[in-house]
Amino acid sequence: MTEQKLGNPAVVGLAGFGLTTMVLQFHNVGWMGLGPVVWLGLIFGGLAQMIAGLQEMKTGNNFGYCAFTAYGCFWIALALLLIGNHYDLYTSSKTDVGWFLVAWTVFTAILWVGSLRIHGALALTFTLLLIGFILLDLAHFGYPDLTVVAGYELMATAAMAWYIMAHIIFADVFGRDVLPVGKPWIR
Amino acid sequence: MISGRRTICLAALAALAAGGQWVGAAEGDAATAEEAVNNVRAAAKFLHDKGSAGYAEFNNKDGKWVWKDSYVFVYDCRRDRMMAHPMRPDLVGKPIMQITDNTGRPIFKELCKAGSEARGGWVEYMWQKPGAGRLSRKLSYALTADMSFTTGIQVSAGIYDEKIPLSDLTRALEKMSDPAKYPAL
Repeated sequence: MTEQKLGNPAVVGLAGFGLTTMVLQFHNVGWMGLGPVVWLGLIFGGLAQMIAGLQEMKTGNNFGYCAFTAYGCFWIALALLLIGNHYDLYTSSKTDVGWFLVAWTVFTAILWVGSLRIHGALALTFTLLLIGFILLDLAHFGYPDLTVVAGYELMATAAMAWYIMAHIIFADVFGRDVLPVGKPWIR
Repeated sequence: MISGRRTICLAALAALAAGGQWVGAAEGDAATAEEAVNNVRAAAKFLHDKGSAGYAEFNNKDGKWVWKDSYVFVYDCRRDRMMAHPMRPDLVGKPIMQITDNTGRPIFKELCKAGSEARGGWVEYMWQKPGAGRLSRKLSYALTADMSFTTGIQVSAGIYDEKIPLSDLTRALEKMSDPAKYPAL
């Protein structure tokens, strides 16, 4: 009896993280409104990524377990925060959202250190994500024009997440490593 | 805080009036320049606090952002969209940069330019006064709203006056915007 093949939860986590991050940046640079960000944030960036994160537990991957579950919660919290503002439930001002982002920046900095030991593509993704969060922090505290800069920078972050997703999927379907992810930045 | 600011504004404007410089001392049910500036600043603060969920409030013609013969409208200079307008629901969601008055003045291009200044700015153009069947000279004060995850949102409100020079309103705004008396939002 052959062992049943299991999927890698990271492909869903990276898909949801990448896509929802991408559409928020489409909004940040002024291409579209906020509506799709709220609903995708709840379902794909939120629920799907969080479930993928919880599934990482059984793979023994603590980095993925923490990162996907946490960023899934980030999107759910952000979407609920925006919905709460609409219904006057614990209304969050721009300053409040700014501090929310500062906390996520510090959290991301911790994971960024871990990412440097995994592989080059993940290290680059988290470096871009950390820079993006810092730009958004600055945009919320005195430099609003950086919202657009953060928008383009975080599009690169989302694209990198999709690159790693494609690396995993293509390696599976082609039977060889089509998209290399490179060596860790710290060994 | 807003009422306190308004009190200071009144004092500043009274001083201007005493010096023969005051502008916008409208009669009866006509909105004043001071009201326009204060309501626009309050609207920018409201959007800072409430985010994009606050746009809908500005579409209510019976709401708090409509007073006397004036109202606050909200537009997106980056996305080229009218976000909210209590008197012209037909414009909401539509492009704005191509809108000109009967003299060919690109109204929203000028509002966006004036509103992007740190203290905001005044723009003069022709627009239909609510309830009137003809175009009137309108002077609108525009200011950028500082909001999460977006740039280029501005709020504006105007007064209808055939005589006041634009330069008088600009000078009054400079006095009202003294950073020591009027801290940033």
